[in-house]
Formats: sequence, structure tokens, C-alpha cells
Amino acid sequence: VDCQLNLYFSKKSFFKCALHSCYSSLVLFFIPYAAMYDTVRDDGKDIADYQSFALLTQTCLLFAVSIQMSYWTAVNTIFVLGSLVMYFAVTFTMYSNGMFTILPSAFPFIGTARNSLNQPNVWLTIFLTSILCVLPVITNRFLMIQLCPTINDKAKATPAPPTQRARIRRTSSRRSGYAFSHAQGYGDLVTSGRFLRRPALTRSSGFTHVGRTTTSFSPMGRSAGYSPTGRPQNNKVPNVEVTSLQMYRTITDSAP
Amino acid sequence: MMASSYSAKDEDGHITVSGPGGGTLRNKKPENTAFKQQRLPAWQPILTAGTVLPAFFIIGLIFIPIGIGLYVTSNNIKEFEIDYTGDDASSPCYNCAKNFSWNNTKSCTCTIPFQLDQPYESNVFMYYGLSNFYQNHRRYVKSRDDSQLNGNIDSLKKPSKECEPYASIDNKPIAPCGAIANSMFNDTLKLFYNDPNGTSVPIPLTSTGIAWWTDKHVKFRNPVGTNSNLTAVFQGTMKPVNWHRPVYELDTDPENNGFINEDFIVWMRTAALPTFRKLYRIIQKKNNMAPTLPRGNYTLVVDYNYPVRSFEGRKRMILSTISWMGGKNPFLGIAYITVGSVCFFLGVVLLVIHHKYGNRNNSANISN
Repeated sequence: VDCQLNLYFSKKSFFKCALHSCYSSLVLFFIPYAAMYDTVRDDGKDIADYQSFALLTQTCLLFAVSIQMSYWTAVNTIFVLGSLVMYFAVTFTMYSNGMFTILPSAFPFIGTARNSLNQPNVWLTIFLTSILCVLPVITNRFLMIQLCPTINDKAKATPAPPTQRARIRRTSSRRSGYAFSHAQGYGDLVTSGRFLRRPALTRSSGFTHVGRTTTSFSPMGRSAGYSPTGRPQNNKVPNVEVTSLQMYRTITDSAP
Repeated sequence: MMASSYSAKDEDGHITVSGPGGGTLRNKKPENTAFKQQRLPAWQPILTAGTVLPAFFIIGLIFIPIGIGLYVTSNNIKEFEIDYTGDDASSPCYNCAKNFSWNNTKSCTCTIPFQLDQPYESNVFMYYGLSNFYQNHRRYVKSRDDSQLNGNIDSLKKPSKECEPYASIDNKPIAPCGAIANSMFNDTLKLFYNDPNGTSVPIPLTSTGIAWWTDKHVKFRNPVGTNSNLTAVFQGTMKPVNWHRPVYELDTDPENNGFINEDFIVWMRTAALPTFRKLYRIIQKKNNMAPTLPRGNYTLVVDYNYPVRSFEGRKRMILSTISWMGGKNPFLGIAYITVGSVCFFLGVVLLVIHHKYGNRNNSANISN
């Protein structure tokens, strides 16, 4: 497993993280700098002023950061999109006429959002900066997956076994290595005839279901499907769907 | 050691634990819902070749036309620049630059002839540009009083501490206070067209409509007094040290006088970079089909008031047309073309790598 191989907190990964940060910082400053150098708005007025430049840089940063999410659940998506919306809401509020009238010295950025965010070249700069920040990350990850995949990557690449979603009833809360001693046993299995094997179905997709998979067979206990050695019960028949006894996919790692 | 008994787990996953006193303790285990057990369905971008490679190619195909469009637009913008700092002995403004002193009552004038090779259509914008002038220095940026500039009478009489040391002279408050206002650009630039039969025609320059609408109408307001006369309202204040005229004499037009003078507003919008340009005047397009600035010889007449030699700065005048992407800046076009090409090239390289190495790794090591 990746954690056991010290893949996440080693000096090497720290260095990679630092390199990524350096690159992102340089991109996030110098692209807006070069785009705003001696530039004006589309009606000739100022856009390369201190306040507009600051707004442009921070908006680039937000977009670059929001795109780099590793997984998207419903909750995550709502919060990320919500924070982007909140950012714009707060920005426009803080830079509005009303807030300036209440306290002029505290809200000097009045009008900046309105006057700079309606410029097409500002949005093109933001788009370019975010894509440029994300591109090396994707390239690096893809190259790593292709050239030296880790166990996690291989697991994600294999097709998930076909699942039938049904409620599973669990009555034992004990976790124990002596799995079968606490389970109900195989009485149900034998009498139902599900031990007859079926050919495997393969299915490929770019999705992985990160949620829990369940089957209709209820082995009475969370540890009932656990095979102590992790290997499938029958090695002789290839390409056969594992029975619902094996609730975990087995993956062997070739020695590096 | 407390005696406790465990009962079998219920269907919904709750455990009831009986304590020694016989009552039941509340279970501390969170409910077995997807939300609380972090089992929400999630979408995770798996970087397979089938998704990444088309994405790279699509990004490349989108960026390159955008880049070409931006670059072509930028190239079509006409721009002309004259540096009139006068540090070179051959330059017309050399004498003005050399003989500059703060006590000059009469301003020095220099004349620079130039030539436009192409006619300029539509509105032409005249900018003054400064180099090596750090309007983004923190202490400089903070040296202003926005309440005073918004017309607040109390701030007019008592400027904020941020304006120090440009807040008062001889115990009288400075209006407008601060280093930004004090260093306002005060050169006067005039354009003349030398038409073919020899006369020098002055070109009409519009001095309003150069500042942001929000600045002119919301941020900067003249203080309102009992008297509508601006001179009376500013009674008791001093002009900034470096100015030749007080703030209520900036323009004869009452809509452009006082704090709402547009040159002043444009200057107060501090620039982000040490080389910047600020809008000075607009040359409006003519109603007929004639170009705004025809091809030919022109003269720039400068009232040289602004000293830049002490910090090795440079001054220049820029005439430019405008497009939907603003002024002439080829960077964005070039950047888009570059990133698009790099993306496309990377897509090809990754395709090759995937073909050679990817399939080998994926299929062999996963077995049942």
C-alpha cells in the first residue's frame, strides 16, 4: 500500500510539493504581470492599476485552486462552487458604492471589480493562468500512472466486479481474525445454491464507485467474507466471477 | 472495572450498552448513513488515456485559435510612442531637463516634431507614460485620505495620519493631502498637425471621460459648503507643496474642478507596475470619413514641469488606438499560442508513451 511504502510523506514528495508550489506562484504572478503590462481597458481607461492587478491575481489564484480537487462528492462540489460564488459576492459587496459610503477609508477598492471584470482580456488571463497551473499536475500524474503505477492506480484501473445493490444485514460487531468462528456459517450458501459459479462480466469505465459495494448474499457478519490469506479460493478457473464470498478484489503487486 | 454487557447489533447499527447502574447509556456511534459514515457517492477523475489525451488535444485546439485571434488583434492596433525625457543632448527637451529647478515660475517648453506613417482611425487615445516610477510602493500607496477626497468636511480640515508628512503646512491642512497627490503629473502636452501647405493646426483634445465613472461620480466628491464657490469651500487649506496651482484652480470647467478633476483622479489611481501609462486626453473621431489623425507631420509641444531625472525615470507620450482587448499587448496572444502548442505536443508525446508503456503495465500485473 502506498502509505506503507512511505510514498506520501517522504523527502521526495515534499520536494515535489515544494516544486509545484514554486511553479504555481511564478505562474500566478507573472502571467497577470505580463498581461497587464502597459495595457488599458477596451474604452482606453486604466486597467493596469494596483487595485485591478490585485483583483486579477487573487481571482486567478482562486480558480487555479478550485480546479485542483482530487475527488468530487456532492458536498465537496457544493462547497467549492459555493466558495467561488461567495468570493464574487463578497468582492462585489466590498467594492460597492454602499460600503464605500459607510466607511471610505476602509473600502478604497470601490468600483474595481465592476471595471476590471467586464474586460474580456482579464477573463482570458484568468483562464490561461488556471489551465497553466493545472497542466503540469495532470501531466505528471498521468505519466506516473503510465510508467510506474502504484497499487492504488492499478486498483482504480481494474474494472469493478459487477455488484448488485441490496441491503446487507449485519448482526455481529466484532472484528476478529477468526472470521468464521463468529459468523453464521455457510448453511445459507449451501441451501441456496449460490455456490454454482458464473462467468465473469467485464466492464470498463472511467468511474470508480468509491462508495461501499454490497451484494444480495448476507454472510451474517462483516468478517464473514474475509479470506485470511487474501487469495481467491479457487485458482484453477480463470476469468470467473468470484463468488460473493470474496467481497474484496484481490490485487497482486509485482515486486519492484 | 465496570461490568458491562454487549447485546447483538441491531439492524440499523445502534449498540445499546448497559451500565452498572442498570440504565442505558446513549450510544456514541454516529448513525449509519452515507453522509455521516463518509460513504457519499463521489466522482474521482481517473486519469486514463481515454480522458487525458483527448483533453490535451482539445485544449490545444481551443487555445491556438484564441491566441491567433488575440495576436492579430494586437497587431492591428496602431501605436506611436515618443520619449521626451531629454537626457540626451540631441533631444529637444534636453535644456528643459537640465535646467529644471523647483523655484521656476515660468515653465520650460520644448517642441518635438514627429511623423505618423499610417492614418489613425476612430478614437485616438493620448497617454503619458512614466518609467521607473514606483507608484506601488506601500508607503506611497497609503499616503492619501479617501474621506477627504470624498468631500468630507471634517477630513478636509483634519487630514488622516496616513498623509504625513504631506498633511499640513504651517498648521494649515493640505487639500488634497498625501504623497500621491503631491507628486501629480503636471506636464502639459499639446498636439499640432502640420498640414501640407505649412499651417500648424492644433488638434482638439478632450479632457473629460478619461477617468472611471465610479471614481468620478462616487469616490471623488468636492466638499459642499454653504457657498457653491469652490474657492470659498477650500478656504483655510493649503495647496500641496509641489503644485503650481491650488486644487480649486485645476480647470475652468466647474464639473472638472476641485477633487473631481479627471487628470487628478487618473493620477490618484496608483499604478501596479513601475512602467505605466495613464490616459491624458482623447482625440475624438470626426463625423465624416476622414481619419482622426491623417498621415503626415505633427508637432508635440511640451510644458516641461515634471522632474524625472533625479530617480532616472523616463517620460513618454503615446498615441494609440483601442480594440476589444484593450491596448497593444501581444503577450496574451503569444502565450495562448505557446500553451496551445505545448499542450498539443504533450498530447502527442503522451500518446506515444501510452502506446509503448502504458498497456504493458496495466494488463499484466492485475490477476485474479
